[in-house]
Amino acid sequence: MQQTREQAEASGTSLREARAASVNRELPVYDSAKQPHPFLEEWQELWRYRDLVFQWSGRNIKLRYKRSALGVLWTLLEPLMLMLILTVVFSTVFRPMEAFPVYLLAGLILFDFFNRSTLLIVEEIIVSQSLAERVHVPRSAFAVAAVLTYLTHWAIAHVPLIAIMIYFGRPFSWSLLSLPFGMLLAAMFALGVGLVVATLGAFFHDIRLTYQVLLTGWFYATPVIYPLDVVPEHLQVYFRLNPMYLLLRLVRLPVYDGVMPSAGLWAAGFAVSFSTLMIGWWTFTRWRNAFDYRS
Amino acid sequence: MTTAADPLPAVRLEKVGVRFQLPAERIVSFKEYVLRRLSGRIGHRELWALRELDLDVHTGETLGVIGRNGAGKSTLLKVISRVLRPTSGRVVVRGRTAPLLELGAGFHFDLTGRENVFLNATLFGYSRDLVARNLDAIVAFAELEDFIDLPIRNYSNGMLARLGFAVATQFRPDILILDEILAVGDTGFQEKCLDRIERFRDQGTSILLVSHDLDRVAESCERVAWIEHGRLVALGPPAEILDRYRRGFAAAAS
Repeated sequence: MQQTREQAEASGTSLREARAASVNRELPVYDSAKQPHPFLEEWQELWRYRDLVFQWSGRNIKLRYKRSALGVLWTLLEPLMLMLILTVVFSTVFRPMEAFPVYLLAGLILFDFFNRSTLLIVEEIIVSQSLAERVHVPRSAFAVAAVLTYLTHWAIAHVPLIAIMIYFGRPFSWSLLSLPFGMLLAAMFALGVGLVVATLGAFFHDIRLTYQVLLTGWFYATPVIYPLDVVPEHLQVYFRLNPMYLLLRLVRLPVYDGVMPSAGLWAAGFAVSFSTLMIGWWTFTRWRNAFDYRS
Repeated sequence: MTTAADPLPAVRLEKVGVRFQLPAERIVSFKEYVLRRLSGRIGHRELWALRELDLDVHTGETLGVIGRNGAGKSTLLKVISRVLRPTSGRVVVRGRTAPLLELGAGFHFDLTGRENVFLNATLFGYSRDLVARNLDAIVAFAELEDFIDLPIRNYSNGMLARLGFAVATQFRPDILILDEILAVGDTGFQEKCLDRIERFRDQGTSILLVSHDLDRVAESCERVAWIEHGRLVALGPPAEILDRYRRGFAAAAS
């Protein structure tokens, strides 16, 4: 400090100029006129704030466990209890299916992931609005963190799933190694859907409730608690068009049937998930600014 | 001297305009929106919070921004800190900005001080590693060594403010944005904060100070920008601008 002042006095320049001269000119420059399209800008900023994504999902997980006495155990118990109830109820309604609990649990944990992560995205995007009015932060980071939070829960839920696979003597095959890829596609799909719903939800308060009803309908329209062949044959084609059924098959075939999903199924899963993510990202980045200027 | 063109200003605003669209009526349900859209009854009121604003913040200077409530001061800060993108014109910011508007952003009361430091700092865009390496310095500055592993719900307001300030100022920003008077903790800590800001200033940080406290503006700023209705009314040495500003008020009052 004193040194700068002395230099300034010695050279006869103003203090400000001396200070300016001492500053490194190789600084990152933000130029609003040279910013890429919001679609890309959001992606760039998300990459720059990637540590926030991990911190924020870590926070979500810690908070969830701090609030419940059973902690991590609860994550495992919840889908298991639902599985038990549904097994008792549905094995009396439908003709008995071999190792039904395995079939059921594989689907339940997918839907549990999808419901929770998309609803958390909606909540986080709305809550972060007031924060983003004061601090520059890519809000997509909270959406990705929401998906990562429940992706972790989903991964943990595979512990009881594998336990009951062993109990029912299901075959273990190499196809199990493909599970992370199926989960990744489901995560992309959830992020895309979540961003669309969150964007609408930021404008209209009734979207969230509507979406919750829709989720319940979607669950029953997907062969989670029943096999596809109980559906009349002429309707089966519509059930196959359901993207959640596509993703469900990708994560259930290795677990229940012990077979690797076909290349066609993988391709379809990727196409659906990737395009949904692009639509979600476009919707969010296109309208994100609109809420900022509404106040 | 102060009006000379600066080839590399810390912040340059060129004909910056920011438009807000205020809905004529608040529509909160999707059903209502669809119905109104169909009947063609959706109105917007436009409000230009900033208009054709040209302003440079020179590297290393402290620039005061004055104006009445609603003049566009906060919008100006938001455009510079990248919270808002200008509707028209161009904003160039050289270096990293640190807004001291939102101390303790993202703090969660159920988490420990340490956990909150990481959250808060990554929210400002710092990497986890950088924070980990500077954690001890942050905690020491906040004087919270004995409390850092407690949930912050047990902290006093002063402790929270100290932690927030320590994180926000651990790394020297190129542009520091100060909104109103900084009131952080007790007098002793307050002095420590001002010292730190003073040190930043001597190392070449530009400071934007928005305040209603004209005496403070006069004493700490090298130039003052007066904004009214989103436009720059006057820019120059504090004594001259503040004098005109005060006379403007007196005229309006009589």
